[in-house]
Amino acid sequence: MAKLFERRLTPLDSPLAISTTTSAAFLTAMLVTSFLFLRYGASPLQAYAALFHEPFGTLRGFGYSLVRASPLALVALGTIVSWRSGFAYLGFEGCFVIGAAATAWLALLGAPGAQPGPMPSFLFFPLAILFGFVAAGIWAALVGIVRARFGGNEVLISLMSNYVAIFILQYLVSGPMRAPGSLPETRLLPRATWLPFILPGTRAHAGILIAIAAAILAWMLLRKVTLGYELIVTGFNPFAARYAGIDVPRRLELAAFFAGGLGGLAGMVEVLGSQHRVMDGISGGMGFVGIVVALLARLNPVAVIPTALLYGGMSVGADAMQRHADIPSSITFILESLAVLLVLAFDALRYYRLNPAFWRSAPPAAAEELK
Amino acid sequence: MQHSLEMRNIVKRFPGVLANDHANLTIHAGEIHALLGENGAGKSTLMQILYGFYVMDSGEILIDGERVHLGSPKDAIALGIGMVHQEFMLVRRFSVVENTVLGLREGGGPLLDLKRASEKLKDLSHRHGLDLDPSVEVGSLPVGVQQRVEIVKLLYRDARLLILDEPTAVLTPQEKDRLFAILRKLRENGRSVVIVTHKLKEVMELADRVTVMRDGKVVATRTIGSASEQELTQLMVGREVNLHAEKSSRPPGAPVLKVEELRVGDKTGREKVRGVSFEIRAGEILGIAGVDGNGQSELAEALLHLREIKGGRVLLNGADVTALSAAKHRRMGMCYIPADRRHLGSVTEMSVADNAILGQQRKYARGWFRDTCAARNFADGLVARFGVRRASIDSPAGKLSGGNLQKLILGREIMSGPAALIVEQPTRGLDVGAVEAVWKELLQAREQGKAILLISAELEELLNLADRIAVMFEGRIVGTFDAAGASMEEIGSMMAGGASGEIGGTALTTAMQIPEARNGETV
Repeated sequence: MAKLFERRLTPLDSPLAISTTTSAAFLTAMLVTSFLFLRYGASPLQAYAALFHEPFGTLRGFGYSLVRASPLALVALGTIVSWRSGFAYLGFEGCFVIGAAATAWLALLGAPGAQPGPMPSFLFFPLAILFGFVAAGIWAALVGIVRARFGGNEVLISLMSNYVAIFILQYLVSGPMRAPGSLPETRLLPRATWLPFILPGTRAHAGILIAIAAAILAWMLLRKVTLGYELIVTGFNPFAARYAGIDVPRRLELAAFFAGGLGGLAGMVEVLGSQHRVMDGISGGMGFVGIVVALLARLNPVAVIPTALLYGGMSVGADAMQRHADIPSSITFILESLAVLLVLAFDALRYYRLNPAFWRSAPPAAAEELK
Repeated sequence: MQHSLEMRNIVKRFPGVLANDHANLTIHAGEIHALLGENGAGKSTLMQILYGFYVMDSGEILIDGERVHLGSPKDAIALGIGMVHQEFMLVRRFSVVENTVLGLREGGGPLLDLKRASEKLKDLSHRHGLDLDPSVEVGSLPVGVQQRVEIVKLLYRDARLLILDEPTAVLTPQEKDRLFAILRKLRENGRSVVIVTHKLKEVMELADRVTVMRDGKVVATRTIGSASEQELTQLMVGREVNLHAEKSSRPPGAPVLKVEELRVGDKTGREKVRGVSFEIRAGEILGIAGVDGNGQSELAEALLHLREIKGGRVLLNGADVTALSAAKHRRMGMCYIPADRRHLGSVTEMSVADNAILGQQRKYARGWFRDTCAARNFADGLVARFGVRRASIDSPAGKLSGGNLQKLILGREIMSGPAALIVEQPTRGLDVGAVEAVWKELLQAREQGKAILLISAELEELLNLADRIAVMFEGRIVGTFDAAGASMEEIGSMMAGGASGEIGGTALTTAMQIPEARNGETV
């Protein structure tokens, strides 16, 4: 009996095969989503044009895209470092708010309204990066320790730790760090602690540069550094890693620290670059969307920046589409989600192929009945 | 019941492995049939096909001469074929009867008639001597009784053929005797039983007939009365091609590796190595013979401290290394070539070049950075020197054939310049050419004055390579031979658990070969 899908003896894993299946999946997602536009009487082509014109066709929109892309890219890089090390960390929402709170605290050290902030900016920004990174890194490393030393399940624990971190932030912004006023949020950060804007006439800030630098560093870590080699061996095969004399628990903890740190940088970038204060709900789900970006970039640090830009841009475009054409922006969520689902599903084509014999032979059910 | 079951020319391929190579198997009604073979011989695959877990690539299965289709375990159960897996498939919080009816729909109604089921279960249990109380919670029962619950599940579904995968692996000797009594009773009642095992003793004690598998092929089927343990051992571990290796006679040097009263447990806490002592000198190969699962793997892993050591000492060049980490062992000059090439000895997803430095990644580095250039040069040299064929050093190591992967691992470990080398099943599953290459390299390492511990189930390999051979049985070394004076028969009977010379020279005259079932029908 011929089956519709036949397992390939060796999976296709050339870069060409991977990029073909990925783009085919993305196009399929767009095709399926087209039907949703029809419901609003809009031509899909025009709708897609509107969706992509604002973020990538206008300077102002592109600036917004960069603003949205930076934290997504940083979370995605954290995902890549931890997942490739075999540590399925999902606590980036928590790292995001821990990093945000830590950098806001540092920025608010000075007296209210004090012009230069607590210290000169050439000192402040490196220190803020370090602060956000280490605070969130330690937060994530706690999960790493539980997993590496006591065999805890990192998926569940990291997921739950998000809520703990969010509650800590809620406490901070409604208690010790609360600004006078009605809303639970901190004071506006001193102007000198804001990340510089990099494109005149837009909101784009230096956060994207931090994200690009982080992508290069993550790529170097995984490809060029001995420690990265050991992390990847640990991720692929912890038994072989132990056999090769690699201290697997220590590596898992380090991977958790790096991942958390990158998630913390995402929070730092959002606070110092875009919000300029910390309030409840500042992460806005970016800790999860970043994971999606990493998946779509196939855990490749270099592919993260364009993918994050695409995702950031789509959310900017969605808002514009809603304003101008009155098409609900949630359609882009559907598009984004479909893209991820289909990219993962289309992977099957690298392992299975359509079997032409299926159509040539009589339908199996009919053949069975003839007997 | 006149059931008989035939599997003909079964072929099953997994990516890179031919798990079953035209295997033939006939099971008569009312017999206990043992399927004997080493780990990886293809026994389990063959049984999973019979149980509908895997679909065969080609071949046919006949029940009473009728071709049947087995696409899923459901089909198998409908045809009266049931299987008890090594890991029990029981819901611990359910009672015996609840576990038994789980997944069945009896009477058609929406309600569960546990009372009627309990009656039926009691009756079955009484008839087959299972002695089960239907209302007891399964989780509270000892392992041996849980196994009986698995058996009654099959009987409840009216299985005519029961397959038991390594049934005694988890049992105490008393529980084992009890199980055997039950299986004999099942045979009396006309059911057929297949036990999958690598334990010869049990085969001799229990089975009516035995089929031996090696490297995916069925090598022989014998009735128990006509087969000796040595013959079966040789069938199980032997090699068809006669290979011969020349080794120089040179006196060994100073002691390098010394093991004193080593005790090692497994995950469940049972002791797998029970006080093993030996000494290996420079330029000497000590062979460890034994059927798989008698503690050899645990011994090898414990020497590198990849496994918890319960007692005893390991000395390398006089220094106590027992408690040191695997990394320290490597730095002090102890290397390990594991039996599991694809899951322990290499990272199959990574490139050949990356695998070539596995374990020595810190040596091919400049500061924090990898010295990719030096690593690639090393990998190129290794591939050329050890004849790893058909490989770009950038392609994933998983694409290498077993022999080439083994050469890569062997080369990597030898090139790291160890003082002592632990080698486990170095030629399992390799073709003759690769075997010769591996042997040559091991003998050359011996020439260079390395102390080598060679763990192998292949007697021929041990007789050709080793200077001394120790036989391991149930976690102990039961005898040591000088390789020059040792005979295959003598070692074989010790491997089977008999004392030396106890079962010498049983006649092999009435050996019965399974008829070749090739009637021209192709699938």
